Amino acid sequence: MEPLTWTGTMGNTLDPILGIAATALIVTSILAIVVSFFTTSERVVVNADGTIAAQPGLGGLLTKAQTYALWAVLATIVAYIVTGIVVGWQGGGIIGGMVRAFTPVWISLVVLFVVSFAFKRKLGLYGKLFDSTIGMIGFGLVMFWVFTAIWSGVFDLISTHDPLSQVSGMKNKVPGTPYTGDEGEYPFYLLGGDNLARDVFSRMVLGSTIVMQIAPLATVFAFMVGITLGLPAGYYGGRLDTILSFLANLILAFPVILLFYLLVTPEIVATGLPNYMALALFMFPLVFAGVLINSRYRTQPPTRNLYLGIAMAIGGLLYMSLIMDQSSQIAFFRLWPGFLDLFDIPGQVLIVFVSVVFVNSPTVYRIVRGLTLDIKTRDYVAAGQTRGETPWYIMLWEILPNARGPLIVDFCLRIGYTTILLGTLGFFGLGLPPESPDWGSTINEGRKLLSVYPHPAIAPALALLSLVLGLNLLADGLREESLRD
Amino acid sequence: MNKTPDYDGPILEIDKLSISFFTRLREIPAVMDFSVNVAPGEAVGLVGESGCGKSTVALGVMQDLGKNGAVVGGTIKFKGRDLSQMSQEELRDIRGNEIAMIYQEPMASLNPAMKIGRQLMEVPMLHDDASEKDAYDMALQVVTDVKLPDPARILDSYPHQLSGGQQQRIVIAMALMSKPALLILDEPTTALDVTVEAGIVNLVKDLGKKYGTSMLFISHNLGLVLETCDRICVMYSGEAVERGSISDVFDKMRHPYTQALFRSIPLPGADKNSRPLVAIPGNFPLPHERPPGCNFGPRCDYFEAGRCDQGHIFMRDVDGAGTHESRCLRFEEIDWNAPLAAVIEQGSREIGAPVLKVENLKKYYEVAANALFGGGGNKVVKANETLSFEARESETLAIVGESGCGKSTLAKVLMGLETATDGTITMDNQEIQGTPIEGRSTKQVADIQMVFQNPFDTLNPSMTVGRQIVRALEIFDYGDSDKDRWERMLHLLDLVKLPRAFADRMPRQLSGGQKQRVGIARAFAGDARIVVADEPVSALDVSVQAAVTDLLMEIQREQKTTLLFISHDLSIVRYLSDRVMVMYLGHVVELGTTDQVFAPPYHPYTEALLSAVPIADTKVTKKHIVLEGDIPSAMNPPPGCPFQTRCRWKDKVPGNLCEQEVPPMRSLAGGHQVKCHLSDADLSAMEPVIEVTAAE
Repeated sequence: MEPLTWTGTMGNTLDPILGIAATALIVTSILAIVVSFFTTSERVVVNADGTIAAQPGLGGLLTKAQTYALWAVLATIVAYIVTGIVVGWQGGGIIGGMVRAFTPVWISLVVLFVVSFAFKRKLGLYGKLFDSTIGMIGFGLVMFWVFTAIWSGVFDLISTHDPLSQVSGMKNKVPGTPYTGDEGEYPFYLLGGDNLARDVFSRMVLGSTIVMQIAPLATVFAFMVGITLGLPAGYYGGRLDTILSFLANLILAFPVILLFYLLVTPEIVATGLPNYMALALFMFPLVFAGVLINSRYRTQPPTRNLYLGIAMAIGGLLYMSLIMDQSSQIAFFRLWPGFLDLFDIPGQVLIVFVSVVFVNSPTVYRIVRGLTLDIKTRDYVAAGQTRGETPWYIMLWEILPNARGPLIVDFCLRIGYTTILLGTLGFFGLGLPPESPDWGSTINEGRKLLSVYPHPAIAPALALLSLVLGLNLLADGLREESLRD
Repeated sequence: MNKTPDYDGPILEIDKLSISFFTRLREIPAVMDFSVNVAPGEAVGLVGESGCGKSTVALGVMQDLGKNGAVVGGTIKFKGRDLSQMSQEELRDIRGNEIAMIYQEPMASLNPAMKIGRQLMEVPMLHDDASEKDAYDMALQVVTDVKLPDPARILDSYPHQLSGGQQQRIVIAMALMSKPALLILDEPTTALDVTVEAGIVNLVKDLGKKYGTSMLFISHNLGLVLETCDRICVMYSGEAVERGSISDVFDKMRHPYTQALFRSIPLPGADKNSRPLVAIPGNFPLPHERPPGCNFGPRCDYFEAGRCDQGHIFMRDVDGAGTHESRCLRFEEIDWNAPLAAVIEQGSREIGAPVLKVENLKKYYEVAANALFGGGGNKVVKANETLSFEARESETLAIVGESGCGKSTLAKVLMGLETATDGTITMDNQEIQGTPIEGRSTKQVADIQMVFQNPFDTLNPSMTVGRQIVRALEIFDYGDSDKDRWERMLHLLDLVKLPRAFADRMPRQLSGGQKQRVGIARAFAGDARIVVADEPVSALDVSVQAAVTDLLMEIQREQKTTLLFISHDLSIVRYLSDRVMVMYLGHVVELGTTDQVFAPPYHPYTEALLSAVPIADTKVTKKHIVLEGDIPSAMNPPPGCPFQTRCRWKDKVPGNLCEQEVPPMRSLAGGHQVKCHLSDADLSAMEPVIEVTAAE
């Protein structure tokens, strides 16, 4: 079989169009910037019917042209996707093949956007996101990878080959190379093969699952730790604040990479240090939930005991399953009876988790502490104090909900940092097992032959880039929209 | 840059101005069909409640409506030139040069990282290309003009080193640096204390005369406008409803809204029996939910269906002279001199036994000189100094004083958020001065509750109204089940006259007055017997103030609550309180029944405070006593009498007694107590500050 070209026959018409549209966009954008140096900003003129009149002059013309060019580029991209879904690799080349492989993701995205758009006025901040172009683009990018992770990780609908199987004759092959293995498999390596003759496309797709599992969860844990420590530090102030802030600064000042190297050193792993850290760090969500429920229902002991009991039983079981490991070399971690140990986290994943939480929580701590310092001066906090509320009720139910805006924005950004951090860890060969398809490890693998065969590294790098870009845009959109109205 | 050549028409002509803001949902008309002229040297007052569009007019004049605001109709002419036709460059020359604006919050108008002198000098250097030397001389001159002490030192200091009053004087000085033709003052004294406000108002009046500047004075305070302006324009919901000279509008008002506004503010010349407050019913309409016809129609006593709700209503001339106009269809038919409907006698309250007794209460704070190591000399802030008073059942005790007088500290100690340094607080024969709130029993906590000042801060923005009240009930151990508490919460909403549907609303869906009612409901959740109300109405609009005040008094009557009413507004204090306690710098300087405190003999501070209150009544004449200087810091109080640094009676006391000794609390006739060294003869020689001229 012939190797695939990038866009196949659909490129014959679409490629020139995209080229023209993109050139027009670039030229008009540059011109608009140049022109803005020489012309003064015109005043907005409002027509009698309340509409805003078009901007006159050269500046206005350029703005208009720029908008049209942008729409043209977007329309062409949509045309690529639609045609790709219809014709697949047969008519659409590599792009067509990939677009068709992602069909479940496109459907999910369209459904999500249509539903969200229809009900956006009833959805609070999430609905407002659909008023901001930046926010929508970011949300789209993030959800693209979320859906990819779900459809490929749970249902295995997207990847074309097994991410670990090596096929002779496919080593370091360029994108679009016909498959030399068994009949009946997908006939191409869409994005080529890596130096172990594995499919780059499938590894990139499945890598998203790993990233999507670890990054948000690790961020949630980092937030739990940061919030549980930041609230009392800001609320009580004084010596507690001084000590905690000093510790947070200490961790922040320590070189992250060195810390990671220390954590994964076999001698240190053998002492069980990461496990003990997990013991401490994973305790925080449990404490957080306990205090949250207790402070809320403290005046009704029966209800309190019920809720607290349920939460502690479930949380405790999860906690013990998480930190206990029947196969551990340290006797302490084998204490928990095996039938109650629901699952084991692979040691290396645990280390990655612990280190990500450990380096992220001090920053969250600082943010929460600052917000608390501001919010604790409000009258509703004083009202809580004068009716005799416990400090933890005030912190968790009066202060925390009102600090949510900046925290949500930071949460989005922090998932991005964590994703990069995972990539960094993978890049240094720390953490996850070497054959893992996660993006960081894959980039590291591909780095070795980067000058000869760049494609094995470029694909996961672009994936990582688009996810982090999406998260940043999403955070921007959320911040912008939460400030409006 | 040169100024526009001399022009002898009106400085500012606003003609049929309409301003709208565009949100993603709809166009919101903020100002509609608004006209006003300002002649050279004239001061025009723009009065209205918050949200009526008065600040939008000011921003419209500055052509600074932001991205989503725009003038959609009418013209604004400054010295005959249409501002909307000017380019950005021309506007920049006019702003700050010919039109200057003074905002409410002085600290926000000053650059905190720049010395005062630099900020002032910038104005002539930017607009007139003045040399640095000339600019400095000018700055020095202007700072002297705004009566700040030691101008050279002030020029060399940063904004945070000055007090609020001094900062506002600097902002005024900055506005005057370019000798503007028009000065826009947007609530310039709202953030300041009354005695400081009186000083600023005097200053603005004098400077207006001296420089011949025209002024557009925006305020919600009718009294201030009376004192400063020549003409007044009353705004309601985006429209001017009445326009005329001060005497026309104050004495011969021809619009029902103006009348209702006057009836809803308490005047210190009268008390609740001779002149009860009448709240304006209903709520201010949202800009996009205005009624057809007259905007004030739904709240108006003279509303006539089929007439007042048809079509647009235009301004009409009242007296034929063209100086007094009203936007009311029926002003000829209304009997403007009709007396108020007879007040239902509410039955006077029985004042019961004392429930709260405070004796020699002291609260000192230690401020460590070095925060980290605690070494060095510790400074002591004496927030409360030997306070003694008692409050009885169903009594309203007003605590009056300016910021920093220790009234908030007193509230904290009463609530148990702080413990007293010395002295006793007795509630129901139990001493609670040393018991922090965690140590108090549920009953004790529920018995003494607080209503807070800022309606936008008093409720947790992310919890429903009902949930917040239910939480208070949970804490006070009310009822056995969630259903009990929910029922009780609905009753509490009834008590504060809010619809029961509000239980499921979020605080942001409520207006300021409604939030304050929820705050009151929450305070009474545990059947509080003592309620400390910390300026509960000062942040509300006047028409709402009356309603909330009446509500508090009504609940008090029903529940026999003791109300400790903290306020700086003497008008409202006179209206609702039985006894008044005046505080200054941690000391009680005067204590007596309302009549005793509001009539001579006064404590010199009370006298100054009374004279500083702006009164919206042309029939009242009052003495002008402007206090010099600022309130001393509680860190470093003056020796002897706390008030001696600003007292105008000081030289009547022989020797240096005022500077050496804190005066003892003296009892005058009828339990009236005054902390002053003045002799009985001097005290009895005092003249009343406020006098009401006989009705014409």
